[in-house]
Amino acid sequence: MSSLALDRPKAGPAAPTLPLAWRLARRELRGGLRNFRILIACLVIGVAAVAGVRSLSDAMLAGLQRDARALLGGDVELRLVHRVASPEEAEWLRANSAAFSETAELRTMARNPADPALRRLVELKAVDEAYPLHGTLETEPAGGTGLLAEREGHWGAIVDPALLDRLGLAVGDRLEIGEVPLVVTGVLQREPDRAARLFALGPRVLIARQALAASGLEQPGSLIYYHYRLDLPAGQTPADWRGRLDAAFPQAGWRLRGLDEAAPGMRRFIDQVGAFMTLVGLTALLVGGVGVANGVTAFLETRRETIATLKCLGAPARLILATYLLQVLALGGAAVVAGLLLGAAVPVVLGPLLAARLGFPLVPGFYPLPLAVAAASGLLILLAFALWPLARAQRLPAGSLFRDLLGRERGLPPRWSLVAVAVCGLLLALLALVTSDDPWLAAGFIGGSLGVLLVCRGAAELLRRLAARAARVRNPTLRLALANLHRPGAPTGSVVTSLGLGLTVLVAVALIQGNLEGQILDEIPAEAPGFYFIDIQPDEVERFDRLVQATPGVERLERVPMLRGRITGVNGRSPDEMDLPADAAWVFRGDRGITWSAQPPPGSTITAGSWWPPDYQGPPLVSLDDDIAKALGLAPGDRLTINLLGRSFEATIANLRPVEWRDLRINFVMVFSPGLVQQAPQTQLAAVYVDPEAESRLERAVTDAFPNVSAIRVKEALAQAAATLEDIALAITATAAVTLVSGGLVLAGAVAAGQRRRLYESVVLKVLGATRGRLTGAFLLEFGLLGLGTSLVALVFGAIAAWAVCRTVMEIEFVLLPWRAGGLLLAAVTATLLLGFLGTWRALSQKAAPFLRNP
Amino acid sequence: MERPDADAAMVELSGLELTYRAAAGPVPVLRGIDLSLRAGETVSLVGPSGSGKTSLLMVIAALERPTGGEVRVDGQSLSALDEDAAARFRRDRIGIVFQGFHLIPTMTALENVAVPLEFAGRSDAFARAAEVLGQVGLGHRMEHFPGQLSGGEQQRVALARAFAPGPALLLADEPTGNLDGATGARVIDLLFRLQRERGTTLLLITHDPALAGRCGRRLSIADGRLTGDETLLADEPVA
Repeated sequence: MSSLALDRPKAGPAAPTLPLAWRLARRELRGGLRNFRILIACLVIGVAAVAGVRSLSDAMLAGLQRDARALLGGDVELRLVHRVASPEEAEWLRANSAAFSETAELRTMARNPADPALRRLVELKAVDEAYPLHGTLETEPAGGTGLLAEREGHWGAIVDPALLDRLGLAVGDRLEIGEVPLVVTGVLQREPDRAARLFALGPRVLIARQALAASGLEQPGSLIYYHYRLDLPAGQTPADWRGRLDAAFPQAGWRLRGLDEAAPGMRRFIDQVGAFMTLVGLTALLVGGVGVANGVTAFLETRRETIATLKCLGAPARLILATYLLQVLALGGAAVVAGLLLGAAVPVVLGPLLAARLGFPLVPGFYPLPLAVAAASGLLILLAFALWPLARAQRLPAGSLFRDLLGRERGLPPRWSLVAVAVCGLLLALLALVTSDDPWLAAGFIGGSLGVLLVCRGAAELLRRLAARAARVRNPTLRLALANLHRPGAPTGSVVTSLGLGLTVLVAVALIQGNLEGQILDEIPAEAPGFYFIDIQPDEVERFDRLVQATPGVERLERVPMLRGRITGVNGRSPDEMDLPADAAWVFRGDRGITWSAQPPPGSTITAGSWWPPDYQGPPLVSLDDDIAKALGLAPGDRLTINLLGRSFEATIANLRPVEWRDLRINFVMVFSPGLVQQAPQTQLAAVYVDPEAESRLERAVTDAFPNVSAIRVKEALAQAAATLEDIALAITATAAVTLVSGGLVLAGAVAAGQRRRLYESVVLKVLGATRGRLTGAFLLEFGLLGLGTSLVALVFGAIAAWAVCRTVMEIEFVLLPWRAGGLLLAAVTATLLLGFLGTWRALSQKAAPFLRNP
Repeated sequence: MERPDADAAMVELSGLELTYRAAAGPVPVLRGIDLSLRAGETVSLVGPSGSGKTSLLMVIAALERPTGGEVRVDGQSLSALDEDAAARFRRDRIGIVFQGFHLIPTMTALENVAVPLEFAGRSDAFARAAEVLGQVGLGHRMEHFPGQLSGGEQQRVALARAFAPGPALLLADEPTGNLDGATGARVIDLLFRLQRERGTTLLLITHDPALAGRCGRRLSIADGRLTGDETLLADEPVA
């Protein structure tokens, strides 16, 4: 008797689940990773997008932090406008610093003396011999500030290369700024204390501080910013030092910045754009989740027989779940790691490219927090989208080995899996909210993305039902295409959902950018003045007015006095003590342009209070921007404390008026009553409306007659703003394109999953007499309809999203811009066609025999 | 070691009914079947396509829950078992041989045979599997994957897998359906030898009259009802 006959074991305790599941999982993975390619690719791309964007932001912020001293110019930077520091102030600063440097910055006109027609608005910076306290001024030829010294009666000037091109100059040529004779002695390569501004009105020119004094440009009231950079004495904390400074000069009115405030504008920009791009990266990950679900479902489809066999052999449901969950987690985890590595490499790769653009080097390195967030997001997406098909596979009837019991697997998966998926989704949303600088934006983004996903899902179902209803069309090619859209197992749902979300984001970004550009390049310029002329001295006013009005082509001249002042108190409270709303905080940052007027500004309406009498000379009154007042909860009767030229005074709000900034007319947040402000040293600001063909003539006439007056060409400034906007939009679009790539992967996965069926169908149809042309037509129609359906969904919801952003966030008019959206969608339809067709090309040349032979 | 009591009923069906709910209405598959199989019997089940043969086998294997009647296998009422309990029951008491072999393609022959033993938590799972594979003549192919084995070899591995845990009942659904005549004959010889040596109760679905004739009892089924129950051979007494 064989030993087989001796053995009938009693039923005992089962093997522990996890170790056994892991053994089974390892054996299953011998089957290769073919079924996991799309899952892995979607996760890698999504995780890399989130990790890359956040790592890049952190690298930029680290660069700002590391170079803070150089960017700021010292430990502390003080800034005054309109006036230099008094002798007492300067003496105190020198005595209370380890190192000290003074610079002055203003906008003025630079001319080529050899060709008076060539002139340009420049950003002039006059530096002393101590500059820079930190970092290096890089010039060609080398020499730094040594190039600025006076030689043979001429002062040196270091200029931005763009100015040489614009004025037709070379190193060694003469340059005219104000009344000081200059020679171009070097080309500026890097200015250590200037993080690249997103927007500059002109190229940079550096001259010596003494040269500015000789230029005649330093006039009372001239819009010149005086910067005092210093290093603190050893042992002094910034807070202590500031306390002593405030005690010594309580009314100085300077803006003071410490190391944590170096390049605040750039910091804000990095934070805001980075936050937005992170959300877009998360959207890419969300779309990738559809790829994960499809990949897991397709993989489990190939494992149906194995799962049923294991169940017949006695595997409990939890062992099945554990076995396949472990496989998914192992491969998904590896994909997350690969995505992290790619994302971590982004600052290394892009750092050198961005450093030149930004004006400071990034710090490429390992940033654990962004990587942790990306890893957590990737794993949560993996679980959220894999658990559902895994839980359903757990219910696969073992009896399906005997017959097809597909029907038993339909319906909702077990309740525990629904709870687990919901928990994963909630954790993901919380992660996005907690790690975002703007939780409301994050919430809106998450809600919007989920909403679009659900809508896309609904649209896919609608497409399927329409295809089913239309299935009785007479044309067999169309009928075949429609049948492929609504048959059981058709990928219509997943393709429309995943492609739809990516396309919706792209359409929304394109329409928002298009509308903004339209505002900046078309609508605003139509009403805007041709020039602003600044720094018109009081004794030049009459001659200026005569000259301008006598110039042919000039349509209108508006002129107002202008000074710069800071709001240092509201009803006796310092802004530092107030909880400032985001949409009003800007008015307290730095100096504001202010003016005075006996009459209300032309076209103004008063929404609260009343205007002062024309001959009013009493205590200072102020007319305040209506929006600022609402945001701060202010009304006529409330008081503002203003620091003007080192003196503080209180003004009572007399009225509120809405300010329309978009028409680029001369507008001010604050307009003061005649009297105190009227008596301060000031210059005039003029806006001139001129025929475009007369602009150059007017600019030459004014700047020749008044060398101290600077001309700002409005259209040029708007064009530069539009170009900057285009750069930002490009960065956002690039990130949004990652979403589209994820969607494309899902489409590729869906095509691959249906390949076998498609091949078989093609063979059978060819046997029955279908030509390759008919089959080609059917495939093209199928993917064309899919692409078209997806594009329509994206167009509608992308337009709705863009409308919402334009109207509620940017408060601009929205126009559909069909060509812009249509071009994008045409590209999407073409890509869908191409991708789907490439995947099915094999089917057309497949030989019949292998499919028709009996197994 | 225990041997099954020859007089004990291995399978008892009382008024067994199975009806599927389809969109077009209820579909009765098994209509009140009463049946008793003794321990150690070899029983063939023959009938035309759609007669309910596979459904009957699935009910006995606890793969399908009847809509009426009672099913007891090796003294256990199957209606009392939930899905996991049914899986454990199959693991310990029932072996199944399929027409399509259903070996797991990513596991070697040794691993395929060891799987049910691993489920049972046996520390000697692989040693036992190797022994059984040797006894079906595949000791030299243990590390080969199903794709590297012929049809006959795959079915022998399947037999080893079904017998390795020492089941009381073996269910075979057209075990030679995918094999050529000579190969099928060798597999059947092996099946009956293993059954004889073990004293396992065997229920065999087949369209082959000759194969049905090798069993001690032949059941005929048509339209969900047993239409015939013939004793053909005396099964060898259980020693």
